[in-house]
Amino acid sequence: MILENVADAFGHILHIKTIILMFVGVAGGLIAGAIPGFTIAMAVVLTLPFTFSMPPEQGLATMVSVLVGGLSGGLMAGILTGIPGTPSSVATTFDGFPMARKGKPGLALGLGVWSSFFGGMISAVLLVTLAPQLARVGLEFQPWDYFMLVMFALTITASLAGKDIVKGLIAGALGLLVRTVGEDEAVGMARFDFGSEILLSGFDFIAVLIGLFAFSQLLNDVRDPKSARTSLSEKGTIKARIEHIEALKVIFKNWVVIIRSALIGTFTGILPGAGGSVANILAYDQAKKASKKPEKFGTGTPEGIMAPESSNNAVEGGALITMMALGIPGDVTAAVMLGALLIHDVVPSPTFISEQPVLAYSIFIAFFLATCIMLLLQSGMLRVFVLVTRVRMYVLAGVILGFCGIGVFALNNVDHDLWTLLWFGILGFLMRHFGFPLAPMILGVVLGNIAELNLARAMAIDTDLTHFLTRPWSLFFLIIALFSAAFPWFQAQRSKKKWTLFYLPVACFAMSVPLFMMGGIPRPVIACVVVAGGVWVLYKRWKSGWALDAYDGHEIKEG
Amino acid sequence: MGRLNRDVYVAVFLLLFSGVMFWASFDIREPDYGVLAPSVWPRVILTFFTILTLIYLVQSLRRGPDDPDANAGEPSTIGGWVSYWRNPIICFVLFGGYLAVLPYLGMLISGVLFVFFLLTALGGWSPRQLSLHAAVAVISVGGMWSLFTYGLNVLLPSGELTGI
Repeated sequence: MILENVADAFGHILHIKTIILMFVGVAGGLIAGAIPGFTIAMAVVLTLPFTFSMPPEQGLATMVSVLVGGLSGGLMAGILTGIPGTPSSVATTFDGFPMARKGKPGLALGLGVWSSFFGGMISAVLLVTLAPQLARVGLEFQPWDYFMLVMFALTITASLAGKDIVKGLIAGALGLLVRTVGEDEAVGMARFDFGSEILLSGFDFIAVLIGLFAFSQLLNDVRDPKSARTSLSEKGTIKARIEHIEALKVIFKNWVVIIRSALIGTFTGILPGAGGSVANILAYDQAKKASKKPEKFGTGTPEGIMAPESSNNAVEGGALITMMALGIPGDVTAAVMLGALLIHDVVPSPTFISEQPVLAYSIFIAFFLATCIMLLLQSGMLRVFVLVTRVRMYVLAGVILGFCGIGVFALNNVDHDLWTLLWFGILGFLMRHFGFPLAPMILGVVLGNIAELNLARAMAIDTDLTHFLTRPWSLFFLIIALFSAAFPWFQAQRSKKKWTLFYLPVACFAMSVPLFMMGGIPRPVIACVVVAGGVWVLYKRWKSGWALDAYDGHEIKEG
Repeated sequence: MGRLNRDVYVAVFLLLFSGVMFWASFDIREPDYGVLAPSVWPRVILTFFTILTLIYLVQSLRRGPDDPDANAGEPSTIGGWVSYWRNPIICFVLFGGYLAVLPYLGMLISGVLFVFFLLTALGGWSPRQLSLHAAVAVISVGGMWSLFTYGLNVLLPSGELTGI
């Protein structure tokens, strides 16, 4: 049965039209990722209208290709110009640009390309193996658990997406609220329509996403008239040829860096809200700590390129694991992928892999194939990248705004989606200006209906609200939501206030409670390990005389 | 701005917004069937939204006036503000204009005009630039329009005046 499904999926993906679309998608992603200010999420969002008329397997394969291309495109700009193409490749510039400046741009690019490839492949293997396992766990979820899982996803995204968690939570709540406008899905009553037929039909969430993310980003990019009229190539030298053999030799010598960083990337991706922008810094930091020559970092050391590139390509494998197994997007790009599935009437949930095996395997295969295509195209795209970087920013922004108009109209063939695009573009622009992170709002928009439907289902089964506290999974998600909400305060007060010494142990003890409640053998064993971890941390703190240790943190930026 | 920072104004605006939405939530009809009334979920969200906004307001009030260095470069006069935000304002106004003329000129022509005027407003209007912008607008919007119309079989709106 599995082989039959895999064969069917191969049949869809290895279709000539799909392969061509995947090549185009990877190429488009590479270019979009290479242009600073044009994020991967924006590229994936803008691809969505094209996939509308395609079969789901083909559409998703195209979007996965754009995603994989975008993840790798950022390294070209980062290494050759010192300006990261995407927030996911910020750490790549720390050593990539110095290496290029030292006269080895070909080696730097080779290291980046091959590290991206191996990182992507490792996470693809983890995606194929972990997603079905996690989905099995997800099958235990009842509506109470699901509702709390959505709340956890929103909370952690709010706490990781910006400096100010209150603003993040406000943004998340606003996203949920936006989704309530129009007829409610459960009983079809009008909500917040203010007598307008347009509001009664609600906001198309893809138009909202494009407005909030792409439209507002483009306006940000052209805000400064001077920089809007400059092109990227004026800021650096772009002459290079990728040195594949030399790069592979270095990578095989430092394979541990690749594997460790890919694991960091995958597990960061699994965590809702923490995307490539966090993973590349984390992996770079770990590579530096593990290195015998940490002082060389920042001067053009190969590990400084390999670690962030391996991790940022692994992130999407992780984000797809949670999206495919639980229906919860790990980041904005996975949220758009989830949107694409919804467009094709496929609702991701723990039963997704078992109910839609061909589509699920198609995504797995597309991820593998797109990573290979990325490797093939990188060398060729270097020339296109040089051409694209000569184009002025305002020209790119103008053309893409024009495309936004056509693409959004094509979603439902109605004018008011274009007005939605404009209003949410303005809203996104203002939110960015006033320091509200967009990621929680986007997740709120995408997950709003799922949360409400599960709340309605839970109430239909039993109106007793204590189920949210007595069901192990619901309690588990509630506890980690509360601790993730408190995380920014912990981070800010760490090494300053005594209570921060107890944050981690208390979190461990609290999390162990629902794990014990789950019963069986493996989960109570995990609970024991978690409790032991908490006790060990407490013991360490006690031994050091409850001393507040210094913390060298990294600022987390929105991806 | 006096002794208040801009976050205070944003928080007050958000509170007003949540007040309006709360008021509007009482217009939601309650059917006789279903366990979860359609107004419950929006009100739950609005309650959290209001509490969070109040926290935000208190935080903002306690922070005191804006640090002039934190918003360095941002103007304080209306003229300076318009000049600072010139490009985004142009984009919004032209996009609004594009949507207004769309029913009359159709997607192709209004799209080409929008991109042309936007590029010219943002990039300048020397004769060389004008011809470049016209070429970019026609090729990009024309290409995209053709792709959607003929490649993806999407019916894009034609204009009442132009018929295209």
